[in-house]
Amino acid sequence: MMDSLSGSLKDALKKLAGKAVVDRAAVDELVKNLQRALLSADVNVKLVMDLSKAIRTRSLDEELPKNTNVREHVLRIVYQELVRLVYASADLKLEPQVILMAGLQGSGKTTTTAKIARYFQKKGMKVGVICADTFRPGAYDQLSTLCAKINVPCFGNPKVTDARQIVREGLVAVKDQEVIIVDTQGRHALEPDLIQEIIDLNALTKASHRWLVIDAALGQQASEQAKRFHEAIGIDGVIITKMDGTAKGGGALSAVAETKSGIVFIGAGETIEDLERFDANGFISRLLGMGDLQALVEKVQEAQMADEVDMEAMMKGHFTLRDMYKQLEALNKMGPLKQIMSMLPMGNMQLPEGVYDVTSTKMARYRILMDSMSPKELDDPSLINSSRMQRIARGAGGTPEEVRELLKYYKMMHKTLKGLRGSGGGKFNMQRLMKRFSGMQ
Amino acid sequence: MFSGLRERLQSARDRLGASIGAAAAASQPQEPEKPAALEKEGEVPAKNPTLADKVRILIIDRELVVSEKDIADALSELEMTLLESDVALPVTDALIADIRAGLVGKHRKIGESVDSLVVRSLKSALLKVLGQGFDLPAYIRSHERPVKILFTGVNGTGKTTTVAKIGAYLKKEGFSVVIGAGDTFRAGAIEQIGVHAERLGIKVIEHQTGADPSAVLFDTVQYAIAHKTDVVLADTAGRFHTKANLMSQLEKIRRVMKPDLIVYVDEAVAGNDAVVRAAEFDKTVGADAIVLTKADMDSRGGAAISIAHTIGKPLLFLGTGQAYEDIMPFEPGTVVEELLGGAA
Repeated sequence: MMDSLSGSLKDALKKLAGKAVVDRAAVDELVKNLQRALLSADVNVKLVMDLSKAIRTRSLDEELPKNTNVREHVLRIVYQELVRLVYASADLKLEPQVILMAGLQGSGKTTTTAKIARYFQKKGMKVGVICADTFRPGAYDQLSTLCAKINVPCFGNPKVTDARQIVREGLVAVKDQEVIIVDTQGRHALEPDLIQEIIDLNALTKASHRWLVIDAALGQQASEQAKRFHEAIGIDGVIITKMDGTAKGGGALSAVAETKSGIVFIGAGETIEDLERFDANGFISRLLGMGDLQALVEKVQEAQMADEVDMEAMMKGHFTLRDMYKQLEALNKMGPLKQIMSMLPMGNMQLPEGVYDVTSTKMARYRILMDSMSPKELDDPSLINSSRMQRIARGAGGTPEEVRELLKYYKMMHKTLKGLRGSGGGKFNMQRLMKRFSGMQ
Repeated sequence: MFSGLRERLQSARDRLGASIGAAAAASQPQEPEKPAALEKEGEVPAKNPTLADKVRILIIDRELVVSEKDIADALSELEMTLLESDVALPVTDALIADIRAGLVGKHRKIGESVDSLVVRSLKSALLKVLGQGFDLPAYIRSHERPVKILFTGVNGTGKTTTVAKIGAYLKKEGFSVVIGAGDTFRAGAIEQIGVHAERLGIKVIEHQTGADPSAVLFDTVQYAIAHKTDVVLADTAGRFHTKANLMSQLEKIRRVMKPDLIVYVDEAVAGNDAVVRAAEFDKTVGADAIVLTKADMDSRGGAAISIAHTIGKPLLFLGTGQAYEDIMPFEPGTVVEELLGGAA
């Protein structure tokens, strides 16, 4: 389902690609597809409507920047608007603090509490955990088991039914720790007693942070729930859990919008290490089911990066390992080669499939191998014989086979570039091609 | 239950009715008496029989064809309503198409109320989606004991709590129950179900954390056979449909314990992903019935519609709170009646 959605989104983008001026109908279609993609990612309906209105007006009203085509222009607006939606700063300081966890039942508070404890522990902080979930059977067992695994002190008492009492005692018990995390019982906004309880806990702990845990699959309800939680205790950060499933986490966007806070962490996995800091770019890409949007947006900068590669020398057929190194370095910042090629306005130019077959991990390896080459070898790869190969391999902690593979890749690139020159027919065409390659059109 | 969705449907219904009514009014501008006639056809004055006849022929017996244009606005509003109520996008599309098909081209006598036409169309679309309910006690009575019920679902939807609630429900219905603590992964899960069962006076078969869930559940079934227990409730660890190894573990559990019923548990607050994962679970291990938890959190009930539509399986129960008795058998007819305000 999602694939077809991102497919139609891409189609709509393609329609914009060839246009010289922003076409109202094409923008409308894009916005419509965008709406569908966002709605099926559980983004709040009102947010989607506001967003699409903004994108529509900006796309049609703003002047087309130089050196960009319509598609890039519109995409950049889409991206900027989306980033604006998710990217409120959620600061995380490594200082003594009390964190109060809040959220609906089953959203993953307890697991996340342990994960956050682990996160601060790894950063060298002393962490203590209080289990204030007095309702769910096994809650204390769960948290204390998880904490025991990472040697974090966990205070709780399954026999006490008053969360306030536990927290009062707990704050004394773990007062020597720098970061204190209070796990609470799951509750929803329609339970006044429990909402009062968390208001009391917030007052009692004088929490420096009150984080709302949101299940990635949570739908339109997210907005309402976040609003009520925010009214009660003033949420200042959102954590999205269960991002390892297929859910897109659009509900969290509603929560961010309601609480005017940012996304602190993303939980994606069942082990205690599976917690990541929030990355707006990856999140948006996933939301829309599209590849690396940021790369597209930063295409102009990319073109400048590509300029670092000595185009002149390359046009003359002089392409050394040094050039390839620069290229790989630039590519490393931009993403997989094939994606970049598909983004650049290269028309129907076909490159041999083998060129694309280099994964980013391989590229990183290649760069390491080249780092252990001498300047002479970089300028003139034909120097590399088997004894040099041995030395390079040893220096890079690899095998001679890897060096051979690298040289093979180099030869292929070399040949491809030469081939381009040949088929281009004359220097003029080649220059144009290279200009196009660098995205100046 | 689902009062939010009910309100929304009510307003959508009014909109649809108004659109059709407006279209009717527009097509009959020369007849100012129409509203009166609409309200009470029998009240057409008897003083002037010829006029009354005229009116009857012109208005009341005249058929009006509902065109797509008449209801386009109202339908797109209904679409938004459904989306806001967490009905997944593909399901919304299907529902709207259904309602449109039910309305467009319908011949309607002016005398017939617009409202009933709209309600009928909404009702049939919803009923089609929600399908039949599922009578668990009747199922157990008509099958060989022990009846083995396996609970599946993603993490944190409330499987363990649901197992406890259904255990309590079945016990009240007079069945003997045994629970298999098949969640051997999550820390505290065995303690959780243990405490529930102790409170309810239900036997639990458990191994240690990290044990093979298939073995636990096999033992549970053996226990039930030996003790002539009526029902086996098999809890499992929550798992994501994207984790192939965990799904094949579930597959193994199914092979080993041979459940009579596989109950898929999801939460009423889930959004579009509900559709994706329900379909995936149905595909890999199958699902015979659905339990929707946390229905008290949400007054919209869209997930119920989404899931039922996607895998076409009946809804068994709704979980509506934290206490053991907070569970209600799902009856589509009643729910739809209630959603449409009993006006149909």
